[in-house]
Amino acid sequence: MFSLFAASGGDGPAIHVAPAEVFNIGGISITNSMFYGWIVSLVLIIAFIAIAKRVTILPKGGVVQFVEAGTSFITGVIENAFDDPKKGRRYIPYFVTLFFFILLSNWLGLLPGVGEAFTVSENPLFRPFTADLNGTLAAGIITMLVVYSASIRELGGVRKYIRHFFIGNPLNPLYLIIGLLEMFTDLTRVLSLSLRLFLNVAIGEVVIAVFTYLGGSLAPVAALPFVLLELFVGFLQAYIFVMLSVMYLAIAVNHAHDEHDAPEVDPLTEITVPEKMELQTR
Amino acid sequence: MEIIGYGLMLGLGFIGPGIGIGLIGSSYFNAVGRNPESSKFFGQAIVFVAFIELFGLLAFASTFIIS
Repeated sequence: MFSLFAASGGDGPAIHVAPAEVFNIGGISITNSMFYGWIVSLVLIIAFIAIAKRVTILPKGGVVQFVEAGTSFITGVIENAFDDPKKGRRYIPYFVTLFFFILLSNWLGLLPGVGEAFTVSENPLFRPFTADLNGTLAAGIITMLVVYSASIRELGGVRKYIRHFFIGNPLNPLYLIIGLLEMFTDLTRVLSLSLRLFLNVAIGEVVIAVFTYLGGSLAPVAALPFVLLELFVGFLQAYIFVMLSVMYLAIAVNHAHDEHDAPEVDPLTEITVPEKMELQTR
Repeated sequence: MEIIGYGLMLGLGFIGPGIGIGLIGSSYFNAVGRNPESSKFFGQAIVFVAFIELFGLLAFASTFIIS
């Protein structure tokens, strides 16, 4: 019973930071996190096809209402981020899918049975997809590719996309350095997105394993608060992942929107001064 | 020696996130004290707590790498 949570019950808590190979199909090793990712995708596809047929105007409750609430939540995030909400509508399907996939991976990873309960040649059969750096790195890279391609299309060409990093004339050395720094910051977003998700979920698993081991015969009681905490963290990380990628996209798209409206003012020569400075006196 | 290293690493690594989360909490309650309507930003404060958590978790995760 106690081995249902992540503990091994042996001489120490079972801590795996790296995934382990469980199958080998034609020389391609299938790790346990990949296997669980497929299960999550399958559950997501089947459940969402079934739910999509049951969506009604008057909410009926149950799982359908939960999915509706999540969808409208992400829709609200996207529409608030863009200056022009109509522009953001195109990206709603991708981000909603991403949100539910990460949420489901995080939450299904907390089920009893994920971990040491079922093993294939000493390796656990199930491992949450987001507790594997390969998985979250793939999610981060694909998300940033979507963001880059979408912002290039919205800005209208690669040249304009590179130009949007520079706030002024790129030949000015100060603007050049600031622009290059901005481009470097843009590249580090892949790592920060994927590391944040991976560390939060993987460390959560480790903490649950450690407290299950420390709990001894009272393992479920000792681990329960951390399982509940991980439920909250799993939702929060899914929300943050989606919110940050929407923000990255919205920055580029809103920038394109600004350039059409703003009058062209050379920032070096013409500094706009507020017409009337009001001194606050007490 | 190893144990001292682990202790120093975890302790020093958690100082930064601790200060950061404390600053977020203090500014949140300052804002709520001045203007009670701003209590609606609690969710966004939690989001920033989650950002800062990353650095503490990085320090914690590094203990598995160093052996």
